[in-house]
Amino acid sequence: MTDRPVLEATDLDKRFGDLHAVRGVSFHIDPGETYGLLGPNGAGKTTTIAMVGGLLERDGGQVLIEGEPMTVRTLDPRRKIGLVPQDLAIYPDLTARENLTFFARLYEISGQQLKDRVAKVLEVIGLTDRADDRAGEFSGGMKRRLNIGIGLLHQPRLLILDEPTVGVDPQSRNAILESVEALSSDGIAVLYTTHYMEEAERLATRVGIIDQGEIKAEGTRRQLVQMVGERDRISITANGPLESAVTDLRGMSGVEEAGASDGQITLLVRDASELLAKALETVTNTGASVSSVAVEEPDLEAAFLHLTGKALRD
Amino acid sequence: MRIAWIIARKDLALRSRDRSVFVIAFVAPLALAFIFNLVFGGGGNDIGQSVQFDYGIVDRDDGPVSQAFTEVLEAIEADGLIAVQPFDIEPDARAAVEDGTIDSLFILPSDLSANITTGLPANIEVVGNVDTPTSAGVAASIAERFASGLAAATDAALTAVETGVIGPDEIASAAAEAGAQPPVAALVGIDAGIRLLDSATFFVAGLSIFFMFFVAGLGVTSMLEERRDGTMTRLIAAPIRRSSIIGGKALSSVLIGLVAMVTLVVASTLLMGANWGDPAGVLLLIFAAVLAVVALMSFVGGLAKTTEQSGNLQGIVAVTLGMLGGTFVPIGDPTSFLGQLRFLTPNAWFLRGLADLGGGNIVDTLPAVGVLLLIALGFGVAAVSVARKVVSA
Repeated sequence: MTDRPVLEATDLDKRFGDLHAVRGVSFHIDPGETYGLLGPNGAGKTTTIAMVGGLLERDGGQVLIEGEPMTVRTLDPRRKIGLVPQDLAIYPDLTARENLTFFARLYEISGQQLKDRVAKVLEVIGLTDRADDRAGEFSGGMKRRLNIGIGLLHQPRLLILDEPTVGVDPQSRNAILESVEALSSDGIAVLYTTHYMEEAERLATRVGIIDQGEIKAEGTRRQLVQMVGERDRISITANGPLESAVTDLRGMSGVEEAGASDGQITLLVRDASELLAKALETVTNTGASVSSVAVEEPDLEAAFLHLTGKALRD
Repeated sequence: MRIAWIIARKDLALRSRDRSVFVIAFVAPLALAFIFNLVFGGGGNDIGQSVQFDYGIVDRDDGPVSQAFTEVLEAIEADGLIAVQPFDIEPDARAAVEDGTIDSLFILPSDLSANITTGLPANIEVVGNVDTPTSAGVAASIAERFASGLAAATDAALTAVETGVIGPDEIASAAAEAGAQPPVAALVGIDAGIRLLDSATFFVAGLSIFFMFFVAGLGVTSMLEERRDGTMTRLIAAPIRRSSIIGGKALSSVLIGLVAMVTLVVASTLLMGANWGDPAGVLLLIFAAVLAVVALMSFVGGLAKTTEQSGNLQGIVAVTLGMLGGTFVPIGDPTSFLGQLRFLTPNAWFLRGLADLGGGNIVDTLPAVGVLLLIALGFGVAAVSVARKVVSA
C-alpha cells in the first residue's frame, strides 16, 4: 500500500446552463478510507461522482486516480474504479450470473478468472443460491446487492457508491453497510454519497458536507461536530405546519439554527434548559401537535444544520 | 470489435429472453410470407412467372409510322411480355379498357404519318385502366420511347430532303423506319422492369424491406432504453470506447436484420415459389440493404430523446419511404417526378437490384448494391454522430 491517495479531486466545477451544480469541489481519499459525501438531494453529489468516474465532462478541475488523470476519454483509470450508480443498473432479463459475467467481460476478465471472480462476488453479495435466477425476480434488496456486486467484479482500487441504500428495506440496508465496512477493511477506498446522516456516521472515516455544489466542511465526525461548539441540540417530533414553526423558532432569541425534516424539528441552542419551554410553546402555537422532545449532544445532523442553516433532508 | 461483439451478444440474449428476437426474426417474416401466400395464392402456380400486359391498339392512321409502331409492339409481343389486340372501333376499345378486358390502349390518330411528313406535332394517345397503373406506365413508356426515336429520325429525314438524299414523299417511311429502331433498344430497360413486376416476388421483396425498417431501429432504441434504465452509465464507466457501444448496438441490429430477411426469402421461396434470383446476388443485396436501413434508422432514432419518440420517428420514416419507394403500390410512371424520387429510398434500390438480378446476374446488381452501400456510409457517419449523444450518462 502506497501513501499516494487513490483519488485526488481538485477544484471540480460543473455548470448546466445557468445552474452552477458543482463549485470548486476538492477532496481526496486514501487507500482503505471511506469518504462520505453528505448532502441533501440536489446538493451536487451525483454530479461530483459523475466527474470523478469519467462519465461527465467537467468545466474545471482535475481528477487523479492513483496519480493517473481521469477524463471522459481516458480508459485505463476506469479499470481502477468500481461505480455503483444510484439507479439499479442491471439487466432484469439476465440472471445474476449473466449480469456479472457480461460486465466482467467488459473489464477483459475471461476464462477461469472470470468464473472465479463471478463466484466470489456472488458469495460476497449473498446471491450464490440465486445466481441463475433472473434479476427481475429479485427483491429490491437483492437487486441492490447485485448492483453493488457488479462494481466489485474487477477488484477496483476505488469503489464509488451513489446512495446505495435508497429504497432498501432495513435488513438489506444493514447487509449493504456491512459489506462496505468489509471492503474498506480490505484496503479498498470508498466514496460513499448519502443523505442519510446515520450512514455517514457509521461508515465514513471522513465526511465532506456538500450543499449547493460546495463542500461546506470536511473532516472526521469528531472534527465536524466540534464545529458546532458548546451547543445543545433539541429534537422535537411533531405533526402539523412544521415549516411555519421553524420560521417562528428562528426568530427566537437564543436559537442559533432551526430546521425541519421527516416530522422532526431540530434546534441548535446555547442552553436547552432556558429555551425548551418557550420553544415548545412556539411550536404548539402554530397548530402543530408535539409527540416527543429530546435534548441531545450535537451530531452530524447538528453539524449540517450549523454549516448550512438547514436540516439535512430539507 | 471484441467488445462490440460482447455487447451485441448480450443484446441478442436479452431479445431472445423477451422473445422479441423470435417475433422479429422468425414469426413476423413467416406470418408475412403466409399472408402473401394467401393474398397471391396458387401455391406457386402463378408465382415466378413474368407478368403479361394486355394492350389494345386502334390504328386510324394506317400509314408508315403506325405500321412501324405496330412492328415495335409485335416485337415485344413476341417476347411474351405483352399481348396486343387490334380494335377497329375506338369506343369499343375504350370500353374494353374500362371493363378490364385489356389493361391499356394505344390510339394512333389518322394524321400521324401526315404530320410526321410535314414536321408537325403528332400524338399517340395511351388510355390506361386506373386499376392497372403499372400497365399504363409501361404503355406510356413504350409510346414515349417510340416518339422520341421518331422525332430524331424525322429531323434526320428532313435534313436528308434538304440535301437531296431522299425525296419529300419518302420522309414518313424513312422516319418510321429509323424511328422504329431506338424503341426496340430502349425496351431492354422496360423488359427488366417487367421482370420486377412478377407480382409475388415484388410484394414480398417490397414488404420485406419495409419490415426491415422496424428491425433496424432496435439498436438505437436499445441504446435509449439503456440510458433510461441506468445501464448506459455502467457501460460508459467501463474501460471501453463509446464507439464500441455504438458498434455493438449496430451489430445486433444487422444480425437480426440479416436473419429476418433470409428467413423471409427462404419462406417465401418455399411457400410461395417466389423467384428471387441468384442466391449469391440476393444475399449481397440483402446485406447492402440491411446496412443501409440500419444506418438510416439509427440516424433517425438517434435524433429522439426517448424510446417512444424514437419509435414514432422510425415509424413515420419507414412508412414514408415505403410509400415513396413503391413498396405498397408500384409507381405507375417510372419516368414521372415521383417515379424518379423513389430512387432516393433504399426500398427502390433494393427492388431495382432484384430486378437487375432477375434480368441478369450478380454483376448486374452492383449498381444497386453500390448505392445502398453509399446510403449506409452516409447515414452511418451521421448516425455515429447522433448516437454519441445517446451514449451519455
